[in-house]
Order: sequence, then structure tokens, then C-alpha cells
Amino acid sequence: MSHIIELQNVWKRYETGGEVVEALKDVDFHTDPGEFVSVMGPSGSGKSTMLNVLGLLDTPTEGTVLLDDRDVTDLSDREMTARRKEFIGFIFQSFHLIPTLSALENVEVPTLFGDDPAARERATTLLERVGLGDRLDHRPDQLSGGQKQRVAIARALINEPRILLADEPTGNLDQETGRSVLDLFDEIRREDDVAIVAVTHDPQLSDYTDRTVELVDGRIQ
Amino acid sequence: MNPLEELLRRVPALLMARRNLSRNRIRSGLAILGIIIGVLAIASLGMFGTTLRTGADQQLGDIGNEISISPNLQEGVEELTDRDVDEIRRAVSDGSVVPIRSDSVLVSRGDQQTVTTIYGMENPGAIYEASDGRVPDRLRQGALVGSGTAELLDIEPGNTIAVDGRTYRVSAVLAEQQGISLVNPNSAVVLPMEDVNGTGYSQVVVSAESGQAANESAVSIREELNEREERVTVFELQSITSGIDQFFGILNTFLIGIGSISLVVAGVSILNVMLMSTIERRQEIGVLRAVGVQRGDIIRMILAEAGLLGTAGGVVGALVALGAGVALNSFVLNDPMATFQPINFFYVVLAVGFGIGTSILSGLYPAWKAANERPVEALRN
Ligand SMILES: Nc1ncnc2c1ncn2[C@@H]1O[C@H](COP(=O)(O)OP(=O)(O)OP(=O)(O)O)[C@@H](O)[C@H]1O
Ligand SMILES: [Mg+2]
Repeated sequence: MSHIIELQNVWKRYETGGEVVEALKDVDFHTDPGEFVSVMGPSGSGKSTMLNVLGLLDTPTEGTVLLDDRDVTDLSDREMTARRKEFIGFIFQSFHLIPTLSALENVEVPTLFGDDPAARERATTLLERVGLGDRLDHRPDQLSGGQKQRVAIARALINEPRILLADEPTGNLDQETGRSVLDLFDEIRREDDVAIVAVTHDPQLSDYTDRTVELVDGRIQ
Repeated sequence: MNPLEELLRRVPALLMARRNLSRNRIRSGLAILGIIIGVLAIASLGMFGTTLRTGADQQLGDIGNEISISPNLQEGVEELTDRDVDEIRRAVSDGSVVPIRSDSVLVSRGDQQTVTTIYGMENPGAIYEASDGRVPDRLRQGALVGSGTAELLDIEPGNTIAVDGRTYRVSAVLAEQQGISLVNPNSAVVLPMEDVNGTGYSQVVVSAESGQAANESAVSIREELNEREERVTVFELQSITSGIDQFFGILNTFLIGIGSISLVVAGVSILNVMLMSTIERRQEIGVLRAVGVQRGDIIRMILAEAGLLGTAGGVVGALVALGAGVALNSFVLNDPMATFQPINFFYVVLAVGFGIGTSILSGLYPAWKAANERPVEALRN
């Protein structure tokens, strides 16, 4: 099997005040290196929940998560954190850059707590690659929305992940900027063989993706 | 790259901590101010205690170095003999032994006269100093007059006085003894030993080099002379001075205790600041956790912040406290350098240590809370 990540019969239930919400119902999902998958569906259908389970940020109530053919469902927090660092890059809708750090330092953040002398060089190269070679020392409040998103992408790529997870990556961008971010995604999965899973409402994403997964009420259609 | 940046790059927790503190300078500044006040309170109250003790020691002089041996009247011993004095001399390893014979007689100069105590001493120079004239090492002739008697009879060195019918030339007027004294010469006259009636001695004073030597002498004198019967009573002024020392020890502990309260308050303010800033940065910390930063690193980062606040406050507080100590000592003791003695450095180090310790302790709960937040929860908008 060559799936980089796989969900098998995954259920996620939330209990809130005696009421049980089933956010994911028997979800089977997998993606391969270099594949670009979009996840679509109405609000509250469980898209973010699925992304969190894929990203080892959350554990399923039932079912199995396989990362690079290894069962990672019941790992400790420490091991999960280490796997996230090794395998997964996150891109958040609202960027979540750290305001006190420069663009370059923000890209370095995932490497900061660990011995990685080559990180600064990689971060510089990545920022040049996303077109921000002249913005290395700018703080987030000195960057535009599209530029921030590109810093976030560079940060997601710093540890050379195998999977890129993006929740509404173009949600806060105008159409043209969104397109340039999507071009970048396309380049990344082609050149670096990275699997990309993006949650979106944006119809122009389908021009780029290999396939689209439709979630409705916690079930894949 | 300058050394500071180099250090910050090596220790990422410090880098992040420093950046976070510079985010809200006023808040960080106020937290630091709290620590400064706490450290200042402990260090300067400690030093204040030292100053009080030094001042008191100066007032007491070295009376702690003297002991007095007198006959035990309850056992029927009326006076000390030459044999007793010899035994005392043998028991005292270093220090001078001054046997004293005393009496009460009529002293007159011209037509003024008064009844005073007279002391017979061979070597009064061991315990007295002159305010006018000279105290000889061995007193063979002439008289030394206490300051009170001198004033009463209007006596100066070189005058002639009559003591119990015999005439003496006055060789010195003794310096007035202030405070506590074993043999107070102020209203007395000191004569050569053989000029005072009697054969024994009413008292023997031993003047040692230090309080400790005095104490050792007292112990061996008791062993030697009181072996068979309680022949003598030995009185040590050291028992008074050590009591005073003990009092100042308690006073100091009390003052430092008061100072510690202000440090506890500062700790609470740091707890508050750290808690607020971690709650504000909830999402950021969630992102750090999501991109692979371990719990332990988050804890280290927040403790580093608290530690930096404590260190900054501690260093500034220590400097201000030393400044206050210099001011206090030049004012009270007329000696600013009295600030720089080991005990004061101990107080400063203690205060700074308390300051940093309190800060880190106050950072523990916010750090633990931030590190244990699940990143999914923190990142939910
Ligand atoms: N921590 C939680 N506690 C309780 N219920 C939750 C929790 N997280 C998610 N849910 C519920 O799970 C369901 C799926 O939520 P999810 O955030 O995955 O939706 P979504 O598809 O991402 O929606 P949107 O497009 O609005 O972002 C929702 O009904 C939501 O209320
Ligand atoms: Mg969502």
C-alpha cells in the first residue's frame, strides 16, 4: 500500500450536556503522495473534524488512523507531537502567524525547539520560493493577507512534510491572490510529492484537485 | 551576530520569552517593578538590621572581652588571695589580669572633700584610658582620678590630692566610661595596690583579646578555682552582648519576614500577568503545539518568561538596595563602605534568589495550564 495517510471506519462523537453529536460517521479516507484532494460540504458537516483527525490533532472515538502504514491511533501526546512535526504541515484559514516574530522566524518556528542548524537556510529558500525573498524581516502586521498566507505555507513546508493540511486556505483571500496560492500548492505537490488535503467552499479549487470528497452530516458521499 | 542574539538562538525558549515580554512592555514593566520592590524590601531591611547591629556594637565597645572574678560571699569567701590570682593568671592564656583591692575613704583637694571608692591596681592601663594625662603600665606612685570625682573636686593632672591623709600627685584623669562597665572608675580614685588597706582582693578583672577568648578564660577559671568548692563567681559581660546579638538576629529575621510579604505580593502579580498573557496567546500556543512543539518546550518557554521578569527585577532591586544601603550607612554610621560586608551580600543574594524563585514559582501554574491545553481546542475560532 502506498497511502501516506488513511482513516478506517472513523467515528467522532462529541458529548455536550447529555447530547451526543456525531461529527464523523464511519469515515473511510486515504490519500497518496502527490495527490491533491479537496474536502467539501455544508457547514457543520465535519470537515474540520476530519482534518484534525488526519493531522493527529484529535483522536477518533472509534476507528483507526494509519500514517505511512503505521497505526497512530493510540499514540501518546509526545509521540503524536513528534509525528506531526515529522509528517504534517498545517495551513490555517486565519494564518495564525506569531506577531512578535519576523517572517523568517515564523517560518523557522517548527524547527525552533530542536537542533537544526540548517533551518535558517531552508526557511530563507522557502520564503524566496513563495515570492517573499524581500520580506524576510517583516513582521506579520507589515504583510498583506496573501503574503501572510504564503509565510504560513512556507512554515508548513519547513520540515519537509509528506502531507499538507489546509482548512479554507483561500477563504480570507481575494480571487486572484487565492489563485496564486493554489498555483503554489500545485507546484508543491508536483515537485515535492506532497499529499495535499484542503477543506474549502471555493469552487475554483476543483480546477486544481485530483478529486473531491463530499461530506454531508459526517458521512462521505 | 552579537553574543546576546547568539544565546537567544541557542535557547529558543529564551528567544520566544523575550519577544513575548516586549509585546506588552507596560505590563512586563509593572510585573518587574513588583519584584524590584520585593527584592529591595528584603535586601534593604536585611542591611538595615546589619546597620543597627553595627551601631549597637560600636556603642557597647568591647566589654564583651572582659570578665570579672569575685569572691563567693555565700560560701564565706571574703576576698581573693594571691594564690587565687596566681591560679587565675595560669588559667588565662592570653589577656591581662587586673587584681583590684577596694576601699572607701575620704579624698580632698584644698578645702573640698568627698568620700569615694578607691581602687588599688598594679596595671590599670589594661582596662582604662586617660582623657587627660597618662595612665602608666605599672602604677607605682601617684593617683588616677575618675572623671566624676575630677569634676567634683576640680582636679587636673599635676594637682596634688589627699587620700586618707596621704598626699598624691595626680598623673591622669580617666576617660569617662559610658554604658556598662565591670569596674566603673567614674566616681573613684585609682591608687597603687600597696597603698590600699588589706591583703586580699575584692575583684579580679580579666581583659582578653576577643569575646571568645574571654569566654574560654571564664571556663578554665571556673574549672581551676571552683574545683573543690565554689570559691569564686565569674561574671561575663559576654552573656549580655550575646543576648543583644540574639535580639538583633530575631529583629533581622522579622524585618526580612516583612520584606518577604511584599515579594509574595509581587509573585501574585507575576502569576496574574503570566496567566493573562498565556490566555491571550492561547491560539499561538495552539499553533506551536500543532506544528510539533512539545509540551515541555511550552512549559520551558513560559517559565523562561517568568524567570526573565524575576531576573530583571532581581538585578535592578539588588542595585537599588545597595544604593539604599550606602545612603543609610553613610547617614547612620558615617561609613558608606559598611554596606559592603559579607552578611549584606548574603542578604542581597538571598533577596535576588527569592525574587527569581518567586517569579518562576508563579509561572508554574500558567505554564502547566498552557501546555496542557489541547491544540484543537485552542485553534477553534
Ligand atoms: N469540541 C466540540 N464539542 C462539541 N461539538 C463539536 C465540537 N467540535 C465540533 N463539534 C460539532 O461537530 C460538527 C462538525 O463540526 P466541524 O467543525 O467539523 O464542521 P465543519 O464542517 O468544519 O463546519 P464549517 O464549514 O462551518 O467549518 C458540528 O456539528 C459541531 O457542532
Ligand atoms: Mg470548519
